[in-house]
Amino acid sequence: MSGGMIVNQIRTLRFLAGEMSQAELGKQIGLTRQTVAAIEAGKYSPTLEAAFRIAEVFGKPLEEVFQWSSDG
Amino acid sequence: MPHREKLAWMTLLLIAATYGPYFAHVVISPPAPGVLPNLPQLWLLALAAGGNGVLHILGRIALRVAAPEDARAPADERDRDIERRSGMVAYYVMMVGMMLVGMVMPFTTSGWEIVNAGLLAIVLAEITQNGLAAWSYRRSAA
Repeated sequence: MSGGMIVNQIRTLRFLAGEMSQAELGKQIGLTRQTVAAIEAGKYSPTLEAAFRIAEVFGKPLEEVFQWSSDG
Repeated sequence: MPHREKLAWMTLLLIAATYGPYFAHVVISPPAPGVLPNLPQLWLLALAAGGNGVLHILGRIALRVAAPEDARAPADERDRDIERRSGMVAYYVMMVGMMLVGMVMPFTTSGWEIVNAGLLAIVLAEITQNGLAAWSYRRSAA
């Protein structure tokens, strides 16, 4: 299997959303603050449903929030 | 630290604090073979299991009081994923243990050796489940 990882723009999008906290984002999509932090740091890959919910909160298409980086 | 990770660490600590001394005692001075019910041994087992249960309840209350909002939050997808994976591995540990205890040991030994082996299988399964859960939370911690 080729290397690579999912990267995301959640930190930037939270900043642009008036410095929305991780807890606040988590509350809106049914995740704990720690899970949002893990997703943001690239330590945990969310389910497709959670990814869509996160994108929906920021009003962005999925590909603007999550990208595949083949650099790994 | 997530509430469920704290619970996993607490469970591991309590196992070490209660069943650790019990099994150390069993290894150092094994119960006499063939003597059942062996009340002193039964008393020790009750002390370890009862102590573990009581301390677990007190620990859960303490964690709930320390961070009530975290304790009330329902499990999210990462919690469920970690629980499913650690539970699956613990299930196999328990299955192997129970096969040895229920299908092999009756032909080779009896009495307290079987009881303690059964208890050890349960404790090892608990250690596996909570150890894997704690490790999974640490691995994916931001």
